[in-house]
Amino acid sequence: MRKLSFQEVIDKLNKFWSNRGCLIVEPLDTEVGAGTFHPATFFKSLGKKPWSCAYVQPSRRPCDGRYADNPLRLQHYYQYQVIIKPTVPEIRKIYLDSLKALGIDLKAHEVRFVEDDWESPTLGASGLGWEVWLDSLEITQFTYFQQVAGIELDIVPCEITYGLERICMFIQGKFNLFDLEWHNGVTYGDIHRQHEIEYSRYNFEEASIEMHSKMFEYFEKEANALADKALAYPAYSFVLKASHAFNILDARGAISQNERPRYIARVRSLAKRCAELYLSSNP
Amino acid sequence: MKIRHKDFLLEINVEELPASYVRPALDKLKNAFIERLRAEHIAHGDVAVFGTAGTLICYIKDIQLRQEELSHEISGPPKRIAFDENNNPTPQGIGFAKNQGVNIKDLKIKSTLKGEYVFIVKRIKAKPAKEVLSAIIPEIIKSISFPKTMKWDDSGIRFARPIESILVLLDKENIKIKMGNAPAKVIKGVSSAAYLKKLEKSYTLNQDKRKIEIEKMIKMAQKKLGLDESIDKNLLEEINFLVKSPVLVIGDFDKKFLAIPRDVLAASMSKHQRIFTLSKDGKLVNKFAAILDGKGRNIADMKKVYGNILEARLKDSLFFYNEDIKKPLLDQTDKLKDLIFQKDLGNMFEKIQRLEVLSLFISEKLNIEALKKEDIRKAAHLSKSDLLTQMVGEFPSLQGIMGMEYALKSGEKESVAIAIKEHYLPKGLDDNLPETIEGAVLAISDRIDNITGLLGSGIEPKGSFDPFGIRRNSQCLIQIIKHKGFRINLTSLIDKAIELYNCRGGFKTTLPYKPEELRGRVINYIKERLEFLAPDTKPMELKQSVLKSDCNDIAGVFKRVEALSEISAETYFLKAAKVCERTSNILKGAKGEKIGQVNKSLLKEDLEKEVWKAYSVNSLAIKNLIKEEKYKEATRLYGEAFFEALHKFFDNVLVNAEDSSLRQNRLAMMLAINKLYTNDVADLAMLPQIVVQ
Repeated sequence: MRKLSFQEVIDKLNKFWSNRGCLIVEPLDTEVGAGTFHPATFFKSLGKKPWSCAYVQPSRRPCDGRYADNPLRLQHYYQYQVIIKPTVPEIRKIYLDSLKALGIDLKAHEVRFVEDDWESPTLGASGLGWEVWLDSLEITQFTYFQQVAGIELDIVPCEITYGLERICMFIQGKFNLFDLEWHNGVTYGDIHRQHEIEYSRYNFEEASIEMHSKMFEYFEKEANALADKALAYPAYSFVLKASHAFNILDARGAISQNERPRYIARVRSLAKRCAELYLSSNP
Repeated sequence: MKIRHKDFLLEINVEELPASYVRPALDKLKNAFIERLRAEHIAHGDVAVFGTAGTLICYIKDIQLRQEELSHEISGPPKRIAFDENNNPTPQGIGFAKNQGVNIKDLKIKSTLKGEYVFIVKRIKAKPAKEVLSAIIPEIIKSISFPKTMKWDDSGIRFARPIESILVLLDKENIKIKMGNAPAKVIKGVSSAAYLKKLEKSYTLNQDKRKIEIEKMIKMAQKKLGLDESIDKNLLEEINFLVKSPVLVIGDFDKKFLAIPRDVLAASMSKHQRIFTLSKDGKLVNKFAAILDGKGRNIADMKKVYGNILEARLKDSLFFYNEDIKKPLLDQTDKLKDLIFQKDLGNMFEKIQRLEVLSLFISEKLNIEALKKEDIRKAAHLSKSDLLTQMVGEFPSLQGIMGMEYALKSGEKESVAIAIKEHYLPKGLDDNLPETIEGAVLAISDRIDNITGLLGSGIEPKGSFDPFGIRRNSQCLIQIIKHKGFRINLTSLIDKAIELYNCRGGFKTTLPYKPEELRGRVINYIKERLEFLAPDTKPMELKQSVLKSDCNDIAGVFKRVEALSEISAETYFLKAAKVCERTSNILKGAKGEKIGQVNKSLLKEDLEKEVWKAYSVNSLAIKNLIKEEKYKEATRLYGEAFFEALHKFFDNVLVNAEDSSLRQNRLAMMLAINKLYTNDVADLAMLPQIVVQ
């Protein structure tokens, strides 16, 4: 089989999960650290209504930037997120089928489920599950959510987060993600190299600490004000903005170890307010 | 012949358990079966357990197909009440039979010490094993406990990971067990023995065999390649539960990454990628050993992937390393002000300030030479700086190790660098201890500062829950002091640590307790661990008796326990113990008495003068022997000096005389004799049954 390009991998996954009853929704248009932050996961995991969807989520982790110098690390990358609520008993088999659908030969290669109890302190979300390794390359985070926003979930969703770049590295046999073929001979590096270099510089060196500190305060205030008016979605969007401002400050080295837990606790308590608001109208 | 036994097999199929959960779960499974079958009176043969991350199996040979027949007696009223003189049942007799659900004719008579009584024999109906097993298996499975559990469906059941299915075979018969929504696995026409055999053929079922298999593979490769034959035991144990049919792959990586400090390389390899490091003459080589699962894989491809992933990871480590060494470690200490030590206990900068003073204090007590003293102070000053580096941020377990590497890179002396690394030792009960004086002094300072601060801020271990490691810190403290044979006065050390928290050194942190109260708490925790760590003695009480006397000198405690253990069967030892016991008994009965100094002019009887003479003549010599740590000689002299004289004294003189001045004087004498030994050696009165032949 011809090796799939980056965009073909997304295409295949969309088809695969669509055929299995998932809605294909679009990425969130705000900076987030992971697909979990998308309301399609964060809000929809709460309450008793079933929900299954999949989407690509561009994700930003300012601290992970390496000036395009590292073959595995990026400050901006793509996750493919699947959320199935409630989870189904054969979910892992379905997941393995998705790998086969991408042309990965699971007889010749070894898939290993390595314990990893995932946690997002800012969202107050946690679950039990694994990192999925393909010949020691971590390609997926597989989690049975137990809590979101500190709220014990009634119905356990299964979250499958594919690292799209990692999977492509494996499929294309390239161990520098900038060499990955996006499509038709255009590489990932062609599209993202300059972006990575400039943003690494921005995150680590140039981002205004003063402005982001102030923005954090503004965003927090706005989130609370909107929550006071029972506007869960707009309030939540400001939680995400606050969270990203925090990440930038963190990358700039502007947050002491002392303050760090307090910042995280502030975001988490905002997220909790939003979750409770959402639950009150969507039990 | 009728078959009475069959082989039993339980297979719990579960989504991959954390590797570290498997062995404890197997142990629990086995013990739970043995316990429950015993309680249910079902005999059986060998119980074996087998496990991988995905399957837990319990195989029991020759399970008896029915419970044992059991009967027990229930006694009722006396015969004279249950039956009248004509041997007809009375209303009471009838009532008893009715209550027990039997006929009058089933009532038996038994003569007991109290007379003749009515009783019945109740038979318990033996149930088939199948019925019992169906009932106990779900309970046994639920009784397996894990550090963390989860739910996955609406059945409410919790387990470490979702249960997929459960297979139970009693020979060829399926027993269907449902746990939550997980279906029973059914296999037709295959006996439990045949099923087990089939599994054994498809992979290495026995975890102990599998472990040996992996170890052999690696060692053979090491031998072939001329490498050191050593293996990371923890990783081996983990890998053993990640694979079923182990296959070895030896791969390599670019030599340039060997520039990264060894521990960083090892962490990247063993912790993050679960592959074994390889070394030659103690130095890492640019090769690794990976254990893969299952035969028939594309080994060449996999080897390439493993190598590439490793290099990509190492590139990140190299990035951190190169970033970190741009700044000398010394320049970082100021930033420790931003790093909190513990809630309510200030920041890390204050911590290193305390450590500098504390280690200087210890150095002085130990008469450490000036040059070394300065090294210790320097090491204390730099001890926490590596917490600010990117590498320790990424690999927290490398604290201390990176401190050492970066100290060397910053041009610090080797002794300073090693002390930085060693001050975190030992990390566990079996870990290495600090070897250098510098490292040991700093380690002691850090531990006593931790214990004092944590207890002082109101944190205390609860049961087995000790999240801040107060017990662990106490234990390490004792191990280090013992290992180095440091003679330090514990009380003065604790007082110094408290003083440093309480502002006198100019630090902000104040502890809410009164110093004496806090000192007592710290000492209690250390004593409790001391009891745990001191070697067991014969009799057991010997250890306790040593701990009852002064424990300020920890290394001394160990010496005393050892010395007294050696002589505990000697007559003079028993004499000394008897002296302690008799004086202690008389003092116990004298609570509330005013006991002061011995007044010679109040000594009336010859026999008491004799005793006091023995004291006057020998006390200084005994004190000196104790001071010189000649415990054997001290005990001999003590026992021989007082045993006879005291014996006669007790036989002929009444200590508790009517005249209070005489009485109190005699008690004062007893106290002096008692304290002479029990204060600083051991309170031998705690020994059981002291008999002098």
